[in-house]
Amino acid sequence: MKLAGQIEIAAPAERVWATINDPVGLAACIPGVQDVRKIDDRTFGGGITAAVGPMEGHFDFSAVIEQSDFPSALVVQMTGTDSVTKSTLLATVTTSLEILGESRTRLAYTATLNVKGRLAILGDMILRATASMMISELVKCLKVRLEPPAGAAAAGAPEAAT
Amino acid sequence: MTARRFDVVVVGGGSAGCVVAARLSEDPARSVLLIEEGQDPRPIPEIIANPRRQGELILESDFVRLYEAERADGSTFPLISGRVLGGGSSVNNLGVMRPLKRDFDAWARFGGPAWSYESLLSAAIALEDDPDFPDSPLHGKGGPLRLNRAWKFDSPSDPPVEAMMAVADQLGIPRCEDMAVPEPYGLCASPYNLVDGKRQSAVNAFLDPARGRPNLTIQANTRATRLMLDGSCVTAVEVAGPDGPERIEAGRVVVCAGAYQTPHLLLLSGIGPADKIERVGLAVRHRLDGVGENFQDHAVVYMTFSGSAGLREDYLIPKVRLFVASTPGMDHGDLHILLHPSIRVPGMAPLLPVSIRLLEDRARGSVWLSSADPADLPAVDPRILSHPTDRTAMLNGMQLLADFVRHPRMAEFYGELVTPGEGESWEEHAVGSHITYNHATGTCRLGQADDPMAVVGPDLRVHGLDNLWLADMSVIPVIPHAPTNLTANLVGSIAARNIAAD
Repeated sequence: MKLAGQIEIAAPAERVWATINDPVGLAACIPGVQDVRKIDDRTFGGGITAAVGPMEGHFDFSAVIEQSDFPSALVVQMTGTDSVTKSTLLATVTTSLEILGESRTRLAYTATLNVKGRLAILGDMILRATASMMISELVKCLKVRLEPPAGAAAAGAPEAAT
Repeated sequence: MTARRFDVVVVGGGSAGCVVAARLSEDPARSVLLIEEGQDPRPIPEIIANPRRQGELILESDFVRLYEAERADGSTFPLISGRVLGGGSSVNNLGVMRPLKRDFDAWARFGGPAWSYESLLSAAIALEDDPDFPDSPLHGKGGPLRLNRAWKFDSPSDPPVEAMMAVADQLGIPRCEDMAVPEPYGLCASPYNLVDGKRQSAVNAFLDPARGRPNLTIQANTRATRLMLDGSCVTAVEVAGPDGPERIEAGRVVVCAGAYQTPHLLLLSGIGPADKIERVGLAVRHRLDGVGENFQDHAVVYMTFSGSAGLREDYLIPKVRLFVASTPGMDHGDLHILLHPSIRVPGMAPLLPVSIRLLEDRARGSVWLSSADPADLPAVDPRILSHPTDRTAMLNGMQLLADFVRHPRMAEFYGELVTPGEGESWEEHAVGSHITYNHATGTCRLGQADDPMAVVGPDLRVHGLDNLWLADMSVIPVIPHAPTNLTANLVGSIAARNIAAD
């Protein structure tokens, strides 16, 4: 499963880069994500809670920053295990920035998700929708956090995913 | 030690096998052995009996088996079957829907008049007890399988359901109170297999009343590994059970192991197309080119919307479904559309999934041996949504659903579309994320003796063999416009009748 998209943010690329390289700070922007902590310079841990109908599940994940080359590539590998089915979720998120101006940056991302185990029964219905909703919340939050309050007019809405 | 011998050995205690074993053991002079690979848990555990635990049953229990299958874009998804006494009827969503008249018509083109609606309607009616329609000639009274509808049109309903009915009325979609009519269409009240709130599987409905018979033996945790042939006769079934391997002699054998395992056992026994048998180093005993071919299932695609402000968590979306035509001008319904409970992540609007279920499958997949070891699962290539007409029907269904929930009355509850996302190709979404309704059908289909791809005749006896019969969804040549559990019960009852008369 692949999710991709891009947005323009009215902020300098260096500020955007610093923000997306700080998972602990970024966690507050992603709904459902809890207890994100730094394990070492490149490794982070945390959890996500979600309910499907009457069932509630909890994902424990660890995230490793595999590559961080400003501004062209931030590659993060995530591994998670869910509490209900013990299925594993592997995700690779690649982010790149394009400098459009002094205070204008385009952020592009692709996320590849792979589920092993029984969660795959519900996988596409739940993961795809949940992941794309989380990403759109994250994008909204990034803009609020990075853009000057009156400068929102300079940036466009999130562009579509493939 | 001399081998055990039974007049009839039934392989597989699923939705069909339970009916076959119960019916054939009615004659006390006939000894019947039912072998089941899964467990025979008694009393039936809460996780099976309680329909509210359906999610756990599928996601956490050992009572299902998963076959990994590939989509047209190379991604994988699981196909699910029951692996417990009762088979699919012990793990399914409890829907009990009769095939349409047009389904029987399609089967009669392969099987002749014995498979027509007129010939089989009375057998279908005899299976059921439907107190919701006491005076209807289309419904049974006092049959083994109780039907009920948790929600009917005169039931009190929460606002989203009221809205659904209002939108259906405005769009000219009729109300369908009875899905057993020859051609059901519209907004339907769905019948379910529930007695006093508990699942009523084929074990409860058919097998339990027969358990006390001294001529019926039920042996669980036992896998059939090979059928032994002598000329045109099956002489014995080799099994692997809790006490190790055993060879059980049989007067007749009825294989009811389902659309994955029935062709698997035949191929392991050298019955099937030469290439599928010889590629794993086994010898052909009886060539039948149709074994493992003609696989069909119903494609399922989810679209997910964000919940609008009007949605309250305590609103109940009951068992109501749209049964509609995907394509304008079509003269029958080919889609089920179902609303599902919300997905909730703290801090996010609830997500509301809706599924579109295509009740026709124009492509034909296949099942084959991955190895000669009976313990290895067969390989499955379902080829779902690989036919362009099926893709178009699914895309039309997605559009129909999107238009339905964007109607102002529904928009109060259903907000913007989350997946497929804005700008995302709906076709790629369908092809890359579909699952199936888990209604595997057709892998040992029936047909006349001069039909090269027919595995069984219209009487369900395997072509060219004297005493081997098949009775499950594998024999059905064209997948019905309905969930398949009731059809499997019906196939079991037809096989039992034919064998008893043989």
